[in-house]
Amino acid sequence: MILTELRTTAEAFAHATDWYPKPEGLCRGEVCVPAPGALSSDGMIDVAVAAQKLGMPIVQDIEHGVWALGSATLSGKSLSTAVAADPELKTFDGTPFKLSSLRGKKVVLVAWSSY
Amino acid sequence: MPGWQALNEEIAKFGATVVTVALDIDPALAKPWNDLANPNHPSLVDTLHITNSLFGFTNIPMAAWIDEDGNLVRPAEGASIERSPLRDMEIPEGLPEQLNKMMHAVKAIPDDGEAYREAILDWVQKGSTSAFALTPGEVIARSQPRSDNEARATACFELGEYFHRTGENETAVKWWKEAHRLHPQNLTYKRQAWTLVTTPAGATEYDLMQGPNEVYDSNLVDEVTGEGGFGQFIIRPRL
Repeated sequence: MILTELRTTAEAFAHATDWYPKPEGLCRGEVCVPAPGALSSDGMIDVAVAAQKLGMPIVQDIEHGVWALGSATLSGKSLSTAVAADPELKTFDGTPFKLSSLRGKKVVLVAWSSY
Repeated sequence: MPGWQALNEEIAKFGATVVTVALDIDPALAKPWNDLANPNHPSLVDTLHITNSLFGFTNIPMAAWIDEDGNLVRPAEGASIERSPLRDMEIPEGLPEQLNKMMHAVKAIPDDGEAYREAILDWVQKGSTSAFALTPGEVIARSQPRSDNEARATACFELGEYFHRTGENETAVKWWKEAHRLHPQNLTYKRQAWTLVTTPAGATEYDLMQGPNEVYDSNLVDEVTGEGGFGQFIIRPRL
């Protein structure tokens, strides 16, 4: 997630990380991490607090004033839950597509590239 | 892609589908291959390599299996489903050195294609009773390690993509080099970066050799052969 300040909307945070603010904390699947101070009453996320709770490194390009948020390290594994992430990807014609639109089907998700 | 297209047609009757996702910063270069296959399954693009972060893809081809309720039943792992004809090809004498090394490296790639394809067919028919469907705990345990360095690499790669997209190519290279340093086993981070500097301007296809260049200290053939072959970068499926 690219940031120009360490505050963003809860919606943008969830969109980029697949971690959603809920009453229990920041949640993905059945995993919820208490994160007091991460969500403010105006619906904004304090990214530094959220990142610290989720074990997400923040990397800054000082010269350009840009930050990037790394992935969560909670379990020490690439997955902290078996609930599949649901990022918004795009088809080749630019149409947004979410894997959750395929609920009810088994999905074999295959990564490939042209390089 | 054609192999996955054929498999999709085979598994559709069991209520299953293939979804392909191209890890490509520039979709225009992947699109001709996609159009050639004319897939009838969802065919997506991941310009940010966000699926590396969220699913653990570190190489291609890799796949993860998701059940009807949206739960992973196998984490990201190497996912060939057919034997490459290159493996059975006689390597001609007199090839340029880099191409010769590449051909030998390709022929030595571990071949799990048939077993992995059979495992998919078993799962789509038997569902959770398939011996290849893992429990949530097993899925997490078998997913790849994610240390602070590896998580930091995802951020560095995304910074590289951002600066590449905004025309700051030198800065992009700086961050991609850092991503490579932090997560050396992630071959997609490397191949994406190498190919951008070895593909001639205006080319309609990427340079697949990704050979020696003046920007990065490494390149595909030397890196792979130096590490002991493509197998060192493949997460072989434990079937």
